[in-house]
Amino acid sequence: MQVENLRKDFGNVRALDGVSFRVDAGEWIAIMGPSGSGKTTLINILGGLDTPTAGQAVVDGTDVARLDEAGLTRFRAEKIGFIFQQFHLVPYLTAVENVMLAQYFHSTTDEKEARRALERVGLGDRIEHLPTQLSGGEQQRVAVARALINHPKLILADEPTGNLDEANEEIVLSLLRELHTEGHTILMVTHAPSIGRLADRRIEFAHGHLVQAAVSSLKPELA
Amino acid sequence: MFWRLVFQLLRGSRGRLTVAILAIVSGAAVISALLNLDLGVQNKLTQEFRALGANIVISPASGAPAEISSAEVPSLMAEREVLEAVQQLPSAQVSAAAPYLYIVARAQNIPVVVAGTWLDQAPKLDATWRLEGNWIASRADDSHCLVGRNVARRLHLAVGSPLGLHYLDRSLQCSVAGIVDAGGAEDSQIFASLRTIQSLANLPGQIGLAQVSVTGTAQVVAEYADRLTAASPQYQVRPIRQVAEAEGALVGRIRLLIVSMVLLILILTALCVLGTMAALAMERRKDVGLMKSLGGSISRIVGIFLAEVGVLGAAGGLLGAILGAALSYWMGLRVFGTAIAPRWEVFPVTIALMIAVTLAGALPLRMLGNVKPAEILRGA
Repeated sequence: MQVENLRKDFGNVRALDGVSFRVDAGEWIAIMGPSGSGKTTLINILGGLDTPTAGQAVVDGTDVARLDEAGLTRFRAEKIGFIFQQFHLVPYLTAVENVMLAQYFHSTTDEKEARRALERVGLGDRIEHLPTQLSGGEQQRVAVARALINHPKLILADEPTGNLDEANEEIVLSLLRELHTEGHTILMVTHAPSIGRLADRRIEFAHGHLVQAAVSSLKPELA
Repeated sequence: MFWRLVFQLLRGSRGRLTVAILAIVSGAAVISALLNLDLGVQNKLTQEFRALGANIVISPASGAPAEISSAEVPSLMAEREVLEAVQQLPSAQVSAAAPYLYIVARAQNIPVVVAGTWLDQAPKLDATWRLEGNWIASRADDSHCLVGRNVARRLHLAVGSPLGLHYLDRSLQCSVAGIVDAGGAEDSQIFASLRTIQSLANLPGQIGLAQVSVTGTAQVVAEYADRLTAASPQYQVRPIRQVAEAEGALVGRIRLLIVSMVLLILILTALCVLGTMAALAMERRKDVGLMKSLGGSISRIVGIFLAEVGVLGAAGGLLGAILGAALSYWMGLRVFGTAIAPRWEVFPVTIALMIAVTLAGALPLRMLGNVKPAEILRGA
């Protein structure tokens, strides 16, 4: 993934100002910084949810900035797996149906595969439950299963543990570690330095600028 | 997965959709009832108008049928020729027919118009008569007669009274079977069997006019009149236009009323669905934002929602059509005294109308196409 001189303006407000960096396949990157520094804007552009004002963001050979609406839709379906802070499950669909929804928009549904994905995140006994019948941690694990189901090139996690207690935070982080070990490329927005240190690299933002890129101190320990 | 999603959407939003489904079922029920009525009303009205009496009159070509007094030469027709012409008509639509021979005879030395006719046809041809006493069941019954209420009052007759009729040097006796209250000229007349009056007037096989009641629209009546004219060009055949035209005008007005009401109900139903869908669209902005983030194109996403309202319209339309059929059955009984049978073609028409109306009412869902997932998911 290559980001070059990326800029995003919201009216007079410049959310991203000439951001450039590169991420290699299989890297886990923590994007850090204070609120309003442009982290989520970057994630949205890389995930094809938003378009940049200028610059380019090439993901797996596709410049997101050049895609039209239909192209962005296919890009999201085929290359990106989202994990949101607020889970964002469809409330009237069961856990397995929420996972199958991602399959449906990608290509065809496979309920057995969706069930296996839920079993993998430890929700084998919650497959037919509605989101309202699940705890926050369980909902986020459904979201992780949904993000994985189409084998995306890039997993974008925006504060994935921001709404979780410590126990559930650890479960979700362990799932992310698993994904990383399997070779998935992960970009994770977080405020917490302890979580940021789990990543291969930390990229810090301030006022729309990239201010620091550092290799994680925990990386050697994990290795 | 598509229908699974549609089903779950319906289940998940059943509270919100209850209002819409009630509007659809109510609208469909009234529309179905009105359409059933519209299709059935013509037959019913035709039957109602037939109850008002004959709608074709056959008379001598020289002019109006004459009442025969001893001093006049009447214009008459051959009974056999007229009846043969009538019998050539398709019998299924000829509900009643009767020949008439009018004479002016004397009763208790008072001149009175006497009509010789087939009295068994009177209940069909003169269904609006109110009768005190009994109808005469057989046209061969020579011993009974009906008298108008004015005649009965003037001659002090009651049901069962003997009545003597005199014409020139001939006379006959009959017993009053019933007293007629027709509200017209018939109240001053006496009705006896045709054969008796032909015998009294010494005019065997002769009649002054014939009346025919044809079941059908004004156009059908006119066609039958033309056929009779062709069959008996020597006689004058006239449809009774007041009834036929009134029937046509009334059917036209009722149809206009029904079409107007159907349109009004469709608009009201669409507005109700529109209101519900506008609220639903606001509720579902987050879901749509999420679906877009998962790679759902707006056409696929809105397609799911449109299928949902389509199912809603079809189900509501079907249920409403069934209720409407029952409603029209009940209305037929109340208004026309006989049930209006549901017409099968009303079901698909009602369902199609309801699907169209719900899809039109689902226009607010189109604004979901403008949802920006990044904004929605950030603001959620």
